[in-house]
Amino acid sequence: MNTATDPFADMLQSAAAMQESGRAVLRTMMGLGDVEVGTSEKRCVYSEDKICLYRYTALARSANLKPVLICYAMVNRPYLLDLQPDRSFIRELLLAGLDVYLLDWGYPDGADRFLGLDVYVDGYLRRCVEFVLNEHAIDSLTLLGVCQGGTLSLCYAALEHRQIAQLITMVTPVDFKTPENLLSKWAQHIDFGLLTQSGNVSGDFLNLIYLSLMPFRLTQQKYVNLLQLQGDRVQLENFMRMEKWIFDSPDQPATAFREFIQWFFQENRLIREELTLAGRPVRLENLTAPVLNIFASKDHLVPPSASIPLGARIGSKDYQSLEVDAGHIGLYVGGKTRKSVPAAVVAWLQSRR
Amino acid sequence: MGGFDPQTFPGIPALGLSREYQETAARLLELSKQFQQRYAEFAQQNAAIMQDAIQVMKKRLDAAPPAPSSPTELYDAWIDCAEGTYAQAAHSERFARLLAELCNISSAFKVERGKLTEQIARHLDLPSRAEVDTLHHQVRALKLAMRAAAEAAAPHATASRPAAPRPAASRPPSARAKSSKPPPKLRKRGKK
Repeated sequence: MNTATDPFADMLQSAAAMQESGRAVLRTMMGLGDVEVGTSEKRCVYSEDKICLYRYTALARSANLKPVLICYAMVNRPYLLDLQPDRSFIRELLLAGLDVYLLDWGYPDGADRFLGLDVYVDGYLRRCVEFVLNEHAIDSLTLLGVCQGGTLSLCYAALEHRQIAQLITMVTPVDFKTPENLLSKWAQHIDFGLLTQSGNVSGDFLNLIYLSLMPFRLTQQKYVNLLQLQGDRVQLENFMRMEKWIFDSPDQPATAFREFIQWFFQENRLIREELTLAGRPVRLENLTAPVLNIFASKDHLVPPSASIPLGARIGSKDYQSLEVDAGHIGLYVGGKTRKSVPAAVVAWLQSRR
Repeated sequence: MGGFDPQTFPGIPALGLSREYQETAARLLELSKQFQQRYAEFAQQNAAIMQDAIQVMKKRLDAAPPAPSSPTELYDAWIDCAEGTYAQAAHSERFARLLAELCNISSAFKVERGKLTEQIARHLDLPSRAEVDTLHHQVRALKLAMRAAAEAAAPHATASRPAAPRPAASRPPSARAKSSKPPPKLRKRGKK
């Protein structure tokens, strides 16, 4: 009996199965409706212009740790950290008894085009920090910065080191000119003064750039893979939540965006100790609080080489780093890391009680 | 011989009452031309990347029999080849410069288009971008002055609550943190 299989027949059979799976996916997607994101209960406790400071409702007995203020990036929406109940970095912190605040930069519009980085760091962020300090009648808090928000947090912590009890940076660029940093390479020859002369930078433009970093995977393969989900409703909802988040990109306020790219990406001022904000020098060596620096080994947006140099630049003697086997986004929502990373953060904070 | 060449027209200095408009229009035309040229180069570069990727894929298939057994496997192999080839090109100085040129020309076009829109808005007595910008600056200056005055009046005041915050949500009954996997090991690094 001939047991050898015909590769061409196998191929056709697989193609037919894929087609059937694709049909099931489309059928399920037609009934999906809107997906919910950012489901943990929170309320706005301070707002100013477009920004809003949220405080999350406690989910467990207080761990008696300093309140945590999360400073997210301006280029994306912060609900990535609370995407859905079983994929929520914030929820894990709440379950561990932390008091969590989140600074949401909102959706800047034309009225914000002339606001510089000093307004965002020395203005909005400062007032949110001061609000939390006043609310709890304390002198210092835990600041947790994510991606670009991590860089802004570093700047603030360097300026106001007495207000920061602990600093946690997650996938945060510090050295913007490392060989692996493709975004930085592309940014070097772009005239951002000219780009922002006609107003804010659209979220669509930024998305186009992000997709161009890995165009085949991000614009083709992930949708082909979607067809293999066999119409699994839960998985499709997860996919749609992520899809919603990816393309929900706020426009960037022209002046702050130009300053961020020119000062950080093009001139690498932070690590060269040449950055000034609100007329004050930003010196990382002033940062003396304990620092936990978390980065992702497969990060294509902020390669580890961009985050790792932090340890050698700060004044703090208590510095720890955590390399996570994940990508830039997978760090928060990945199967293995969505529990282990917040657990590591909590453990680190508890050991510095 | 000696006939009118429309290609040279945008190069002629603008004259007369409408010279400002002519100059803006000429710059827009010139920028469109530059964009088309660069875009053609960009498309050519992308075509070359695709050709290289096909060669890489061919080598992979030749070198590692048996051939992929499913369309998915074949497709994933292709994506790996295409992405790898693209990444190599995307990291090059040439790619970055071409991308930047496209972006810069497009930005310059938007600036010129804005100038033209501004002129038209003025003629139609519509609020122009320049007017809105002036108002933004004035509002900003006013806000700063108000903040400074408020701080001077109450030097210890800091961020205040929003005008109408939602009532504080009641805390749910305490719940123990769910047990989770042990946290990853932290690495302590000595200062360099």
